[in-house]
Amino acid sequence: MNRTRWLYPLSLLLLLSAAPLEALARIKLTTLPVRERVAIQLDHAGIALVEEERIVPLVKGVNQVDFSWANTRINPDTLILRILSSSIEPVLNAKVLSVSYPPNENALVWSVAASASGAARMRISYVLGGLSKDFNYRAVADHDEAMLDLAQYLRVHNDANEAYAAAEFWAGVGEPFNKPLGLNETKEVQLSRFASVPIRKTYACDPVAFGYLDRAQDKLNVPMHYVIRNAGGSLGQEPLPAGKARIFQDDGQGGTAFLGEDRGKFTSPDDELELYLGLARDISVRRTIDRSERQRIAGNLYRYDVTLKYEIENFKDTPAILDIAESVRQIRDQVRGAVNRDPEWRLGDGTLRNPDPEKSDADKLLFHVELPARTADGQARKQTHTLRLTLNNEW
Amino acid sequence: MTKMNRNVWLLGLLGLWLPLAASAGNVDLATVPERSTVQLTIYNSEDLTLVRESRVVTFKKGVNPLQFSWANTLIDPTSVELKFREPKVGLEVLDTTFPHDRPQTLYWNVQSDAGYEALIEISYFTSGITWAADYLAIANPDETALQLESFVRVQNRSGEDYENAQVRLVVGTINLVEKIAELAKLPAGRLNELKREEYQDYRQKAARKMMALPASAMEMAAGRTAYDAAEMEAPKEIIKEGLSEYFIYAIEGTETVPNGWAKRLRSFDAEAVPMTVEYRYRPREYGDQLTRLYLLKNDAASQLGSTPLPDGVIQVFRANGQEGLSYLATQNLKYIPIGDKIELNLGADPAVIFELVKQKVYRDNLWFQIKGGNLYRKLGDDGFKLDLDGQVAGWDEHTVYRQKIRNYSDKPIHLQIRRDYPGDVVFRSQLNPILHDFQTVQFETDVDAAEKAGLDYEIIARMGYNQKQNRVELQ
Repeated sequence: MNRTRWLYPLSLLLLLSAAPLEALARIKLTTLPVRERVAIQLDHAGIALVEEERIVPLVKGVNQVDFSWANTRINPDTLILRILSSSIEPVLNAKVLSVSYPPNENALVWSVAASASGAARMRISYVLGGLSKDFNYRAVADHDEAMLDLAQYLRVHNDANEAYAAAEFWAGVGEPFNKPLGLNETKEVQLSRFASVPIRKTYACDPVAFGYLDRAQDKLNVPMHYVIRNAGGSLGQEPLPAGKARIFQDDGQGGTAFLGEDRGKFTSPDDELELYLGLARDISVRRTIDRSERQRIAGNLYRYDVTLKYEIENFKDTPAILDIAESVRQIRDQVRGAVNRDPEWRLGDGTLRNPDPEKSDADKLLFHVELPARTADGQARKQTHTLRLTLNNEW
Repeated sequence: MTKMNRNVWLLGLLGLWLPLAASAGNVDLATVPERSTVQLTIYNSEDLTLVRESRVVTFKKGVNPLQFSWANTLIDPTSVELKFREPKVGLEVLDTTFPHDRPQTLYWNVQSDAGYEALIEISYFTSGITWAADYLAIANPDETALQLESFVRVQNRSGEDYENAQVRLVVGTINLVEKIAELAKLPAGRLNELKREEYQDYRQKAARKMMALPASAMEMAAGRTAYDAAEMEAPKEIIKEGLSEYFIYAIEGTETVPNGWAKRLRSFDAEAVPMTVEYRYRPREYGDQLTRLYLLKNDAASQLGSTPLPDGVIQVFRANGQEGLSYLATQNLKYIPIGDKIELNLGADPAVIFELVKQKVYRDNLWFQIKGGNLYRKLGDDGFKLDLDGQVAGWDEHTVYRQKIRNYSDKPIHLQIRRDYPGDVVFRSQLNPILHDFQTVQFETDVDAAEKAGLDYEIIARMGYNQKQNRVELQ
């Protein structure tokens, strides 16, 4: 069967013929209904759904509507033609009778029956490969690191080999927006801007997660984070999708200084987004296991009393809060060797006695320790904290 | 006939004065009777189609040689059968010959007791014609009902154009001992060497029921009603009929599916099938995530239930209320009998956070094995304080969990959670759990829109010497 091949990607042709498909003549007249509207739904994590609306002239009887997508990656199984209710006069009824798929072509032919001659508003939807998105953020902290302005951007990459002169995009978050999207183009738009978001700057140490700065001297790494809670103000209405964040700080002289960048994780409302800023060099934490004693209960059953000591110095001229995190399993494994049983533990009378209940569980302990600024004479005041643990029923 | 059709098919009524042996000569005369009707019965479980075609052939009194050939098609030569529909008596097949020098050809010698213009029926199996079901589901914006459309798609790669064919689709699984496509490639001579009975029996059994159906549908197909331009043409109806363990879908009227083409027709359309949304945590079925599902039923109350739903791919969307759609999922729907439930798996929902927090671990009921022997003592029992040779042999491991659920969606949600606990386990909670099976606990909860829930429970696992059972006990 001879059919004209159309070189344009994504073309819609209407064959003005009431004849059945098999009787298509070699000479034919086609109309080319243009796109009236295009919506690109990017709300699914990995899939772009394109919906295009066209006003298609129909003759009374059966019409062949030919849709082809040369050189594009449309998933043909997802192609849907919906005839929308229309205010176009004269109002006609139209129905899809069948779909035919020609061999070796990226094309299909819809047989559409119309009750009268006129125009119908049709919406064609399909999943299109090569159209991808990612999110990124720009965060500018104020000079004293109490607030930041967070801007959220969406980047759409068009490797789909199809241009859209105008399209309405929706990314699942933020407001829909209208933009053209050319071939091989990447378009970046600001989706949302969250002004004056309160931040917490944290200093943290965690031998399991962040490791040691100097193992021989028992000095822990002390990474810094800005912590933003996705709640309050304009935040907290929607999740913050995962994306790269570039972090700046107001330098107090009308400019900004670049502090670093991090990949922010997906943050649901009420959750916290942590942005890593690098290692703090002015806060020193030396962690040692000061004492470990074993007491036999019966047979091969023992109890361990363990004391961890933290010597902390803040060389900064501002006070800070240090988050000390520990894994009890890791401590147990260190003092008595690894076994495949959860530790059973009780906190003793060290200075660290009140773990954060929200962020501690059967294994993880998190303590917040206030660090005063260095003294007027420039000396850092050394603080010593202890964590006492009793590990019961070990064998 | 199209060009392709002519290349593929030749049914020759050889010059009546030529004896069969003369067909090997170089000078030949043949007439080519056209197909009057053709019916395709397509199976979706195997690459198998039963073709029944009728042709009008003139016979003289005496022996009439008939040649039937099928070059470049995928017909199983052992399945070709000739029957006489009109007249039913007076005609008889004397023998069938598969010539060694002409592949994909056979000869029949037909004995006629008078001169007839006869309606004959030739049936055979071919491969290369397949059909598959597929579905489109569009939920309404509130997710209370969905529009379910079912389609059938017929694909023709058989090498032959079938024009104006009556098409019947068989839903169900049949047994074949050899693939038709492989048989079609063998020369007819080789096939004669095979033990025919062995596979032909099976092959015939598969289609016997279909063959036995009255021929009325076939005759109906011969006279296709002309298109009436006065009324709008409606989508073709697909008539569903149960037969033994099978279901047959007959497409109204006739269809032309040229070789290489595929055609998709609507099988049914249910406008508003009531459905519910459920969240399930069932790691064995859906992996380690809370999965969102649409649940509906293939029954009359749901505007469905007229047919089982054959296996097929389903695309699931949600209408966004502005004439647009949101893509939700694609999944392979397994055969759904009438009355059975339909579960559409939409994957994880980012608006619902599901976290399990291990809050506390402790052990008690410690038993010791004394000196490696058969004597066991419990810690704390009188007289047992410190025994240097005692080894911990049994204990109860208590683990306290909190299942946290945060619902950031704008609707209340219903969750069902199943967790497997192998071993001798006690599940202690206020959650009204039930046992799904001997080691799987199931409990359910509702979480309002924008609310949080924390479900607390304790697992007591009896370990080592303390393990007496292998099942979960609810407390």
